[in-house]
Amino acid sequence: MKSDLLFFWIAVGLYGLSACCHILGLMARQQKLFSVGLYAALLGFVPHTVAIGTRWLETGISPFFTISESLTFGVFMSVLIFLIFQSTSRRIWPLGVLVMPVAFVLMGWAGALHKSAATQIVPALQSAWIWVHIIGASTGFGAVLAAAGFGLLYLLKEKNSGGIYERLPDLPAIDTLSYRFVAGGFIMYGLMIVSGAFWANQVKGNYWNWDPVEVWSLISWLIYGIYLHLRITMHWRGRRLAWYALIALMAMIVSYWGIPFTVETFHTGFRIEH
Amino acid sequence: MMRLIYTFLSSAKLAIVLLVIILACCVTGVTVFRGERAWTLIFSTLWFNGILLLLVANVACCFFPRMWGRKLTIVSLGMMLFHLSFVVILGGIVYNSLFYFRGLIRLTEGEVLPSGDPQSYDTIERGRYFDFRRLKGETTLKKMHRDYRVEREDKRAAYEIAVGEGSSRKQGIIYITKSLEHQGFSYFNDREGYSLLVMLYDRAGRVLYGAHIPLQSLRQKDESYLYTTGTKEGPGSLPFPQTPLKPRFALQVAYKPSKLKERGGEAFFTVWPLQKGISSKGEKPLADGKVTVGEKFSAGDYYLAVAEVRYWVGMKVFYEPGKPIVLTSLWAGLAGMVIAFIGRVRRGKRHDKPSAISRSGTDN
Ligand code: HEM
Repeated sequence: MKSDLLFFWIAVGLYGLSACCHILGLMARQQKLFSVGLYAALLGFVPHTVAIGTRWLETGISPFFTISESLTFGVFMSVLIFLIFQSTSRRIWPLGVLVMPVAFVLMGWAGALHKSAATQIVPALQSAWIWVHIIGASTGFGAVLAAAGFGLLYLLKEKNSGGIYERLPDLPAIDTLSYRFVAGGFIMYGLMIVSGAFWANQVKGNYWNWDPVEVWSLISWLIYGIYLHLRITMHWRGRRLAWYALIALMAMIVSYWGIPFTVETFHTGFRIEH
Repeated sequence: MMRLIYTFLSSAKLAIVLLVIILACCVTGVTVFRGERAWTLIFSTLWFNGILLLLVANVACCFFPRMWGRKLTIVSLGMMLFHLSFVVILGGIVYNSLFYFRGLIRLTEGEVLPSGDPQSYDTIERGRYFDFRRLKGETTLKKMHRDYRVEREDKRAAYEIAVGEGSSRKQGIIYITKSLEHQGFSYFNDREGYSLLVMLYDRAGRVLYGAHIPLQSLRQKDESYLYTTGTKEGPGSLPFPQTPLKPRFALQVAYKPSKLKERGGEAFFTVWPLQKGISSKGEKPLADGKVTVGEKFSAGDYYLAVAEVRYWVGMKVFYEPGKPIVLTSLWAGLAGMVIAFIGRVRRGKRHDKPSAISRSGTDN
């Protein structure tokens, strides 16, 4: 097995452990299990980073282009944001209940789609904009994943009391946290779209073509734009927005990785391709 | 009546309704219909663009009057910047639509075409107020470079071009991530293909005629390419010699590049009686066969030969004066979002004793 793959699967295993600990912790209401879950996530993050790094070093090509690579990097940012948040004074132990299972499943999916690294970057991708684009997309995803995590905690705390639920911040505070992460994710998706527009303009001379990948990213952005308006202009709060954040996350996973990449790109037409 | 329209447009609910409708259209445009069909049925239609327009009118009538007279804070400043950028983007698009020019120009290596002549372009779209006198001088393709490299990066194809006239003439190399800018016009590489110099000789070997004929590249079922005369839809023939000379027969030429020798390979000729061409299935051609590039092929009373293989390229020539407005507004909008976000977090911090957050519960 190539070394990057070995590290990759170690990371998947540790994320799986972390996911289990979080879920069991919630069911058994055991604080200890959450700590184990957090450390497993931290421990998994190391081989995850190494896997990305070695792949990059081996080929000299930034590993962001195939679906598998894109998923791997999206999960990387999500876990990073999760770990950073958990290392602040505000640590909210059960946050990983949503974040880590999603990270685990997406990583597993990335592993299933794994392909050996390309030896050449396609010319259209040889642009500095792609960096801004990918950072925007992956942090945006990490942020809305966390937002959905807070949404879930909101719904759980509303139904349950005592034990670990006592230690959670009160409902309006969870609600605000979820909103903040949505707003941050919305900005990062905005960055993704703006840099994508500049990139398209550099390569094709058009900043917007309504092509499927563009429309999919607009969809994710609009979904959270609507969230913000429901909150600010319609004064929605609490349960409804918590559900919204959870459902929007699914839409996000589909629009980010599911469908855009299965859309065949045409337009090659006349070009000599050898 | 005006009041009614204004009341309608200034409703904040309308914004959400419109956003949801646009979202629904987008989802339809990538699932039920896709690609070209989505473009013709949704994204290019009057009604869809009308909805986008309505959204901007809604921003103008709803957002700004609400903000009017409100205390200027970091949050409101950021939000104003964000919503303003929306309106300015539309302004840029409308302005652009009046003055833009988009042409596709196709040249064979060595060819020079007058830039201001609509005949030089395969396709042209332009705004009502675009003035062709803006396109000065000539467009020249000096050479097409294959496997062009910039440092370690393979750009595949690069075009060496010159545009403009006299002292303002500009030369440059363009490739997929680099365009050439000249007096408001941008030149983008688009696609390239082979162009054959096809010669016609009489039986005594005297040259009667010669012309550069651009070939289509058609992807075959086995993923290889067929380079031939015809259209994007498939192989075809053309009258030869071409107008204004009197054609003598219909000709299909195809080309198989050599893997070893750049610009070498085999040429395939098929000759039909005029008017019949490739379309009349079952008809036997007058002559049919292949020769290496440079050799003569015998076709009845004539000889044919491919004397030279060159490349042709297609370039996009764009003039879009509204684009800088749009692109700048995108950053302004993003900055507005960031400013509003920072403002809100700071506002939250000010009463950030945990109990204060929880009790405030309102718009934080
Ligand atoms: C189309 C008509 C629109 C109207 C009428 C509108 C109106 C408003 C209003 C009234 C506010 C709240 C201001 C306040 O505090 O009272 C607001 C906030 C906001 N709107 Fe819009 N808006 C429109 C379009 C959009 C669009 C298309 C987006 C992007 C999806 C958008 C994104 C935002 C954002 C991000 C905020 C502030 C959220 C925050 O700072 O947390 N708006 N808008």
